Amino acid sequence: MDSKNVFKSVLFLRIVLLMGLFIILVIGGFTYKHISDLTKSTKIVISTYEVNVELEHINSYLSNAESGHRKYILTKDTSYLEPYFDARKNINSSFLQLKKLTIVNAKQQENLAVLNNLIDKLFTNFSKTDALVKNDEISTESFKTQLFEEKIILDSIRKQVSEIIDLENKLLNERQKEYQSDLKFTPLFFYLVLLVTLLIIIIAFSKINTDLLKIKAKNDQLLIFKESTNQSEIIGKHGNWVWHIDSNIFTYSDNFFRLLGEEPQSFEANFDNFLKFVHPEDVDRLAKELDKMIKNEELPFVSYRIVQKNGTTKYLKAYAKAFYSADGQKRLLGITSDITDEIESFLVLEQRNLELEHNNEELSEFTYVASHDLQEPLRKIQTFISRLEEKESKNISSTGLQYLERINVAVTRMRLLIDDLLQFSRTNKPDKEFVVTDLNDLLEFATQDLAEIISEKKAIITSAILPKVSVIPFQIQQMFLNLLSNSLKYSKNDTAPIINIEYTKIKAKEDIHLNNAVKSSYHKITFLDNGIGFEQKYVDQIFELFSRLHDKEEYSGTGVGLSICKKIVDNHQGFIFAESELHVGAIFTIYLPE
Amino acid sequence: MKLFLKFDFNTISKKILESKFNELNLEYKIVGFGEVELLKNLTSEEYDALKDSFNDYGIKIVENEKSILVQKIKDALIDMVFNEDTNVNVKSSVYLSEKLGHSYGYLSNLFSEVTYSSIENFMIIQKIEYSKQLLLNTDLTLTEIAFKLNYSSVAHLSTQFKNTTGITPSAFQRIIFKRRDIAQQKTK
Amino acid sequence: MQNEYIYLILADDDKDDRLFFTDAFSELKINTKVNTFNDGVELMNYLNKEDSLMPNVLFLDLNMPKKTGIECLIEIKANTKMSGIAIVIYSTSASEEDIEKTFVLGANIYIKKPDSFKKLKKVLSEVVSINWQYHTNSLNKDNFLLRL
Repeated sequence: MDSKNVFKSVLFLRIVLLMGLFIILVIGGFTYKHISDLTKSTKIVISTYEVNVELEHINSYLSNAESGHRKYILTKDTSYLEPYFDARKNINSSFLQLKKLTIVNAKQQENLAVLNNLIDKLFTNFSKTDALVKNDEISTESFKTQLFEEKIILDSIRKQVSEIIDLENKLLNERQKEYQSDLKFTPLFFYLVLLVTLLIIIIAFSKINTDLLKIKAKNDQLLIFKESTNQSEIIGKHGNWVWHIDSNIFTYSDNFFRLLGEEPQSFEANFDNFLKFVHPEDVDRLAKELDKMIKNEELPFVSYRIVQKNGTTKYLKAYAKAFYSADGQKRLLGITSDITDEIESFLVLEQRNLELEHNNEELSEFTYVASHDLQEPLRKIQTFISRLEEKESKNISSTGLQYLERINVAVTRMRLLIDDLLQFSRTNKPDKEFVVTDLNDLLEFATQDLAEIISEKKAIITSAILPKVSVIPFQIQQMFLNLLSNSLKYSKNDTAPIINIEYTKIKAKEDIHLNNAVKSSYHKITFLDNGIGFEQKYVDQIFELFSRLHDKEEYSGTGVGLSICKKIVDNHQGFIFAESELHVGAIFTIYLPE
Repeated sequence: MKLFLKFDFNTISKKILESKFNELNLEYKIVGFGEVELLKNLTSEEYDALKDSFNDYGIKIVENEKSILVQKIKDALIDMVFNEDTNVNVKSSVYLSEKLGHSYGYLSNLFSEVTYSSIENFMIIQKIEYSKQLLLNTDLTLTEIAFKLNYSSVAHLSTQFKNTTGITPSAFQRIIFKRRDIAQQKTK
Repeated sequence: MQNEYIYLILADDDKDDRLFFTDAFSELKINTKVNTFNDGVELMNYLNKEDSLMPNVLFLDLNMPKKTGIECLIEIKANTKMSGIAIVIYSTSASEEDIEKTFVLGANIYIKKPDSFKKLKKVLSEVVSINWQYHTNSLNKDNFLLRL
């Protein structure tokens, strides 16, 4: 799991948490609202009920008052008037209660005011009737009217009360209906919200679960990786370390301890403990290099020596690179390798190189001695012979002169041999530089060197366009020269030499000559001539040193030229082949690696 | 009192020559011991004045008709090689006898007598020198140079170059370029 | 050329070669003066002396004890007083590397010592003649290379 995915996953879980919290808040809000709605509707029922009760009270008080009033009219006993006065008090208190209960409803207040008026009217009537009873005017007409009025007022009161109750019941019904419709949808809503919440929680859980699985897989990989790192450190003789620069804490891998010759994690990893192992001569230098490491944040390869507790000196090489963790802490990650084996084999190699160089020096000294000191006496012999022939020819017999001539021929040949041998040994020198060179130029230079003999023999040389190849230019030019002069030398007496140079680029697998080739493609350059050629059976001899197929009286030469060509081609990791038919011509094929 | 003196005649002669030429306001170049090249031709008055003033020091102008004519031959040949306007197709013998008014046989003999070498040889040296200059200072290929110098083929020039100098044109070019590289490294 | 002589110097440690050299010039009909030195140190001592007459042509053997021809060549080329001398390398060996090296270092002529006295005379007269050509015809000495 890379950091981007981790971030995504964390973000997702946060969103899920926030959504969950929000949903719970919403549910809480709704629940509160619904509970308060329920309370309200209960209160309304209660208040309706109380209103009804109070109205019933008023009714009963009125009945009491009426019946007391009647008894008083019949008996004229004033004690019957007591409930009548009590009724009046109770009605007033009930009325106050009613007013309070219906305070929110203007219509009911109005109705109550009407009721109040009616009750007042009734009691006024009762008082008038009482006054008539006191004066014994019961049988009068006005008394009768009074009673009748009383009856009408009472009827109106009852009517009014029932009207108030009806209205109250009607209101109650309406509100109940309203709340019921609200409450009807609440459970469904809660249920749906809960379902969604559950779904989100399930998704979050599965996400956490897969992340955990991934982390577990990564952990397994990390374990394997750690183990393989351990292995590779042991086999590759290197250890790694981390330097937390800000806190100056070190951690060393197990093998780093082993490089120091100690058991893994056997001492505290810190700089001072490490310095105890560093070779005293290297401490200062190493400290400087470490400073550089911290400054430059990257330093390729510091080499230093350590001395293990058993006294063994080892060569170590360290490489470090700065690394910033997510919290901005700077760390230096380092790898230290044991290069003792390399150093030792390098020292051996250096020793061998010195020996080789020494040998080469001796060899080139020999070459010089051969070229110079061996030639010098020979040349002097020749010069003295020429002086003898010039100055003393009168004093020497003709046989003597002939002998002198033979000596001269022999000496000349010896000088030629020494020259050619030298040239052969020079092609052996290893210190030649490869340069990308246009082979056309080298061929042109070789032709220039042979310009005289070419025009003398009226030779025709044609060449395909040759490639640019990385070669030792001087040697390839020498090879072209030797091949051309070979063809010119072994040309037919009666025919002008024609030398044709062809070129193709080929794949190694396409050519039977290149079965053992190392490289995959080669430059194939072919020299074809119309000279005297040779018998195919001698083909293996012609590249051998000093091998000659012709009488030296007939064709001058030392038999070194083609050996040099072979040597040069070998130096270039190429191949040379010859094929020929006697009296027809020879073909030399050169393969140079691309 | 006695003084022992040691003379450097070379320096003395040089000093005298310098002062005399400066006196007469002549531009000159001392080519070698006993040889001075004047950058313009003298009038007969100037020539006589120079002769007189040299006389006091025992210096004599070598008046040799033959060497003067040889110099004329050389000038004509150099002009023929280096000056591109000169018609290169004319044979050098014809060109010389027409220009100098002597038969070619006479000129040729005279040249050999004075210089110990032949007109042909001189001509070849001049041409090879010119080809050296072209090789070093231009981008011309050897083939182009051969054409420019009226050689029948590049092989002909190549052969003559090698015969005259002992090295091939390419080796010559390589050596001089290497020399220049070394000289440049030194000045750095 | 008539009244003047050409001054030649040869530095060669080989007695026979010095003999061949002086003999050859004495047989040639060129007005020369020949001076020889036995090694490079002797030669340089002479050249560095203030009143020494500088030669027109200097023949240097490459393989000399004490101071080699190459060392002499380098010293001479570094000295402006000696810059006018035409330098001839006169050696037994003629490897392409030696030739190119000495030319690059400033030698004008490279002679492989010939194997007969006749050829020696021819080669030496050629050197003097070509040098005279360069001298009298004021040719560019920087381009003066000759291999014989």
